[in-house]
Amino acid sequence: MTKWQRIKGVLVGLVMLLAGAGMALLGAEAAPLIMGILALSLTLGGIKTLFYYFSMARHMVGGDQILIRGLILFDLGSFTASLTQFSQLYIMGYLLAVHAFSGFVDVLRALEAKRFDSPSWKLNLSTGIINITIGILCVVFMKSMDIAVYIYSAGIIYSAIVRIILSFRKTAVAYITPS
Amino acid sequence: MQEDFHYYATYCASYLSGFDHQQSLDICYSAQLVDLCSRTFLKKNKAPQSAATTQLQLEMMDARTDPVGLQDITRIWSSFHFLPYDLNAKVKKGAGRQYRSKYRLICNTNGDLLVDTIKLASGKGLQAAGLAMHILADTWAHRYFAGTPSLVINNTNYYFYELMPNESGGLDEIPISFRHSPSAPDDLDEHKYTNSLFQSSENSIMNLGHGRAGHLPDYSFIRYKYLPAWGGYEEIIKDNPSDYYHAFCQMIYALKYLRGEYAEFEKDTYEWNTPKQYESEIKAIIEKRQLDACADWKAFGEKLSGETVEPFDLSKYEEEYVSANEKEKNSTFLGQFILAALAQKSMVTNKIFTSGNLLAGYSIDFDKMGFRGIKDYKMLVEHFRKELGI
Repeated sequence: MTKWQRIKGVLVGLVMLLAGAGMALLGAEAAPLIMGILALSLTLGGIKTLFYYFSMARHMVGGDQILIRGLILFDLGSFTASLTQFSQLYIMGYLLAVHAFSGFVDVLRALEAKRFDSPSWKLNLSTGIINITIGILCVVFMKSMDIAVYIYSAGIIYSAIVRIILSFRKTAVAYITPS
Repeated sequence: MQEDFHYYATYCASYLSGFDHQQSLDICYSAQLVDLCSRTFLKKNKAPQSAATTQLQLEMMDARTDPVGLQDITRIWSSFHFLPYDLNAKVKKGAGRQYRSKYRLICNTNGDLLVDTIKLASGKGLQAAGLAMHILADTWAHRYFAGTPSLVINNTNYYFYELMPNESGGLDEIPISFRHSPSAPDDLDEHKYTNSLFQSSENSIMNLGHGRAGHLPDYSFIRYKYLPAWGGYEEIIKDNPSDYYHAFCQMIYALKYLRGEYAEFEKDTYEWNTPKQYESEIKAIIEKRQLDACADWKAFGEKLSGETVEPFDLSKYEEEYVSANEKEKNSTFLGQFILAALAQKSMVTNKIFTSGNLLAGYSIDFDKMGFRGIKDYKMLVEHFRKELGI
């Protein structure tokens, strides 16, 4: 990792940390902000995909699909941004999908690690259970906007901490010139 | 390639190159271990995790695809399974740096890195020899794919045909259908194979190596044609029986070099004469239409040496490594394998890095900068200094 990548990682992590804490304090009032973030990420995702098409995918066999995907994502982002009322179902559906999938993968990882007698299976299983529990909470509290905001904020804070920790990780590989 | 070639066929190549039965077993054990030495395995044995030579399916699902995560994935798969052919390859006009970096990691046979790999294993013991044989063999099976997640390089599409020899001596083209169930075995009669799901994200783990072509590159009997994503709509005809026989004869040549029979290891050189008397037998095994050729290669190996070739057992050397004290660990079988793996990963990462490509991460030259970076590599540095008596 370059120094700039490390600095960028820490700065983005700190901004995410503040945003997550701020949203958790605001509670349900932060819901439009979450919708804004979703709209922005879809729009930026569309732009990023279009950039990917023009920089790389146009050289690929069947790369036109990427162009179409970029246009659809951009369109979806614009549509989300134009919604006058935020949709609770939209946010909950998003959270449910993310946490349930992560939990499922973690449990599978735990089973695999156990098969190899690796001690890491307990950690994988517990993170899996936590993720699935959060997914279930999303269904149970489908009508509570406060809970949705708390879960979303917790996710952002967790990602921020991981991003900051990873920015300090040593990544270079030592090389010894053969004599 | 699978256990049939990495374990049993490597045993045969080792024996034919002049190693004895026990040495051949150690070489083929190390060659097969490359496909099983995952972080989970190393963690269990309290061994340095940077020595991982593969990732389990679920480790990959869990792997991060941020720049650091991608570098880790690329280091593993490019170093041991998809050795890049030309790190300075010219790319299409107008292609940017990102595309160029990925394109240059495409694996193929007889590249400069293969020579570096075999020379690195020279004088380093049987574990290093086995590890190098795995890499050499995979350059034949995995050619035209890259050991980094990349849609623009590794993707394939519906244009996929199996080429079946017909009675008139020609080849029939039969369309191949792919499905995405990892538990469903490939159906050779119906030409139905399992591959990874199409993922439009460039860095999705589904786009690593030959995932999109399923296990086809791993079957010695199959011939097929397809359109690689990077090929500008020019089809590739892959003749695995021919490639696998080349791999077998190149392994014998490389092993003879490692035994000291040749002073130099040269590209595009094969030991055709040594297996000549068994050629039809070997080709019959390679061309037999079956998902797993272990039994045939095992029988052939046992016929060659007159000894029993025991099945591969992952736990065989674990106890020796775990119970050894810290000073003795490097002398154990697994310790030697780990050192060989770290040396190979370090060498390939350095070559990729110094070519101006950052996909495998950063490499720091110990001679110029001293020790920095991932601490697991300190044991490699210490071992090297000890060897030189520094």
